[in-house]
Amino acid sequence: MKQKSKSLIIIGVLFLVSALMPIILKKYHLSMLTEIMIFALYAVSYNLLLGYAGLLSFGHAVFFGMGAFMTAIALVNIPGLSLWNAILISLVTTIFTSIILGSLLLRHKGSYFALLTLAFNSLFYAVATKWREVTGGDDGLAIMRPELNLGFTSISMTSLTNFYYLTMIVIGAAIIFCWYFTHTAMGKTVLLMRENEERMKFLGYNINISRLILFTFTGTMAGLAGIFYAFHFKFVSIWAISVDMTTAVLLMVFVGGTKVYWGPILGAFVYIILQNYLSDITARWPLFMGLIFVIMVLYVPGGLSGIITSIWQRFFVKKNHNAGKASTAEVVTS
Amino acid sequence: MSDYINIQNIHKDFSGLKVLAGVDFKVREKESHAVIGPNGAGKTTLFNIISGKLKSSSGSVVFKGQDISGKPPHILNRRGLSRSFQITNVFQELNVFDNILSGVRSRYGRRYHFFKNPYHDRNICEKTESIIDEVGLTSAKDQPASSLSYGQQRALEIGITLSTEPELILLDEPTAGMTREETEQAIRMIDRVTTGRTLIIIEHDMEVVFSLADTISVLHYGTILVSGTPEEIRNNQLVKDAYLGEE
Amino acid sequence: MSDIPVFILHGLAYAGLLFLVSAGLTLIFGMLNVLNFAHATLYMLGAYFSYTVVTQMGGQFWMALILCPLMLFIIGALVEWFLLRRVHAYGHVPELLLTFGLAYIITELVKWHWGNYPLAVKVGPVLESTVQIIGITYPVYRIFIFLCAVFVGIMMALILYKTRLGIILRASVNDKEMANALGVNIPLVFTGVFAFGSALSGFAGVVAGPLLSTYPGMAHDILIDAFVVIVVGGFGSLGGAMIASLIIGELHSFGVLLFPKLSMALIYLLMVVVLLIKPSGLFGEKS
Repeated sequence: MKQKSKSLIIIGVLFLVSALMPIILKKYHLSMLTEIMIFALYAVSYNLLLGYAGLLSFGHAVFFGMGAFMTAIALVNIPGLSLWNAILISLVTTIFTSIILGSLLLRHKGSYFALLTLAFNSLFYAVATKWREVTGGDDGLAIMRPELNLGFTSISMTSLTNFYYLTMIVIGAAIIFCWYFTHTAMGKTVLLMRENEERMKFLGYNINISRLILFTFTGTMAGLAGIFYAFHFKFVSIWAISVDMTTAVLLMVFVGGTKVYWGPILGAFVYIILQNYLSDITARWPLFMGLIFVIMVLYVPGGLSGIITSIWQRFFVKKNHNAGKASTAEVVTS
Repeated sequence: MSDYINIQNIHKDFSGLKVLAGVDFKVREKESHAVIGPNGAGKTTLFNIISGKLKSSSGSVVFKGQDISGKPPHILNRRGLSRSFQITNVFQELNVFDNILSGVRSRYGRRYHFFKNPYHDRNICEKTESIIDEVGLTSAKDQPASSLSYGQQRALEIGITLSTEPELILLDEPTAGMTREETEQAIRMIDRVTTGRTLIIIEHDMEVVFSLADTISVLHYGTILVSGTPEEIRNNQLVKDAYLGEE
Repeated sequence: MSDIPVFILHGLAYAGLLFLVSAGLTLIFGMLNVLNFAHATLYMLGAYFSYTVVTQMGGQFWMALILCPLMLFIIGALVEWFLLRRVHAYGHVPELLLTFGLAYIITELVKWHWGNYPLAVKVGPVLESTVQIIGITYPVYRIFIFLCAVFVGIMMALILYKTRLGIILRASVNDKEMANALGVNIPLVFTGVFAFGSALSGFAGVVAGPLLSTYPGMAHDILIDAFVVIVVGGFGSLGGAMIASLIIGELHSFGVLLFPKLSMALIYLLMVVVLLIKPSGLFGEKS
């Protein structure tokens, strides 16, 4: 119960701070913060696969891009479509895509899973590039944000501040739900998948079902991020569904760290800032990206959150040290 | 129909290599049955077939009157069959509580639930605690499995096997690699936790076998040499020649 | 439809190229269980090295055919020795990420050094000529590619199945402890396999350069096709890679002829069908 009220306080404080941002930040930075929130959800959903289930996917952009493209396609082709319906249509499409892809990939894991997801990502990218009539091909699709209809009143989404609040509420809720998910039965089943799938089978778990549920859930969350990405930029290009978009999320998660829940959120923050400033300075952004990957893998496998956690623990070293001692003493006596 | 589990004429080939060549035996309800035999006799293969890990080349396993051969492990587990592994097979980075919890909540149908936190379910937590107590890991409850001593890991292995509250328990060499003292402790624990349940156990240690088992089958080169009570096995000339004589 | 023989031959040439790339990939995959994302960039490096040897240093094409694989062999050995080995104990995720990062770095370095535009390599008078074959005039070079692949395929099969080295290699995969007990230096075997796979990829790059031209996107263009070869042929199976290369090479060639807009989709379609019917690939063993 104590834990519960603590988390509620943290959520409340974060909510208040975020709600004050439009007053504090300039427009440029508010736009960046919106982008960070969207990518944070994308990264969090990816880490449920990589960090929690131990599945390395190179195809997460399929779902992100699917959400983004369906939103744009629906808005372009259905005049007068409401915001909620655009979200609904895109989410349902993403869910179907995840179920179909998930069922095809169920039986594979490890390197093979990575290879297959990459191949499928390329397939979707190829379709998006070639199917110009629908996706706009290389030109992409430009859209307008429909206004938000709340039943009793409508709120225009043309102003960044209004859209920021919508993002904060919807994406924020999704990120909190993902966090809650890690504490539910299914969330704990995901950990079992990472630790020992073989043993799970002998405890009554259906591995295929477990994977399909996880794959669909993370795909849906990535799709939701994609939908808001489309709304935010009012434009969707084939980049949204490219392997580069998968690389981007991989980098965010890896830089942020996979071991703690907030790692990928931190990663998204760092990534967006780096990308905004570094790509101004240098045209060789991919080179830096490659170097960051290699250096992180070799020297900082825990990511930035890993560094922060260990510094934090050093502060409380006395407390933890004693706790560790007590438990080892117990083992010896038992 | 009085047979609780009936193993009928099980054959198993691994790409031409015959491992099991017609295994037959029956176990009655609430009986403790030991399968003994030299290394390479096919004991673990037999367990893998009964528990659904492998499919037999031919033959059938009948459990409570139903043919269960070829059913996947998770279905067999839901029908009340649970097994342990010879090589410790636990969730290494999870703590003891979460290890046991995994099976308990599966039994309570909390496998894929999206909204409920299993820690908040009193029945599940109490059941988990009681299994931890039964296998003697209470003091190590919050430790990750990887930090446990070998003996504790083996106890955890049995605890996980018990966590789905099975009617039929298959234990694959539960005391393998233990010291004399640990073995004795383990026997007492196994005896205690399997009371009122049906047990099939693979064991090398004759002391364990004779102190735990009501009936024994001797597996020799892929077939059952003889089945009977410990007394009958001890006095059987065939067994003496083939197996016990080597000790 | 008098074009059909031409398209068959085109398909064979591309199949040869695909096999040269995927053979190394599948070998490394089967032996080290590492999916090398940088494999195709090594292939690209081979092509660029060959450009430097032939065009910038005035060498002959056959020199590039020998020198470039050697350079890639050394690069491969260094990558395995100094990078992959360090993270091998932590499972496949860091290994994949490492090769993934390397792919980016190499691609950028190539753009930096050689520029972001296509380059051409001269192959010499004999290979540039044409021959009369089954009633048509056909470039010698494409036939040369196919013959290279056949040669490499036969050599690899002979080494793997007929020599002591092959026995050691296969033993290292199946039973590491046994191989250790036999006194096999497994880390060295792994380095050797990775270096050999890289050299093979470099060789493929040298051969590919004159046919497809040398450009920074060439790695990405062949990587996915090579992945599909592995999926269709089966994990770590050399024979599977051979057959799958042929299928995909021909599919590529006839796809362009029959369904120009869908030619790329055909290859993916094949992959999906194989995944549905036989998830382990045509020649893959069940995991």
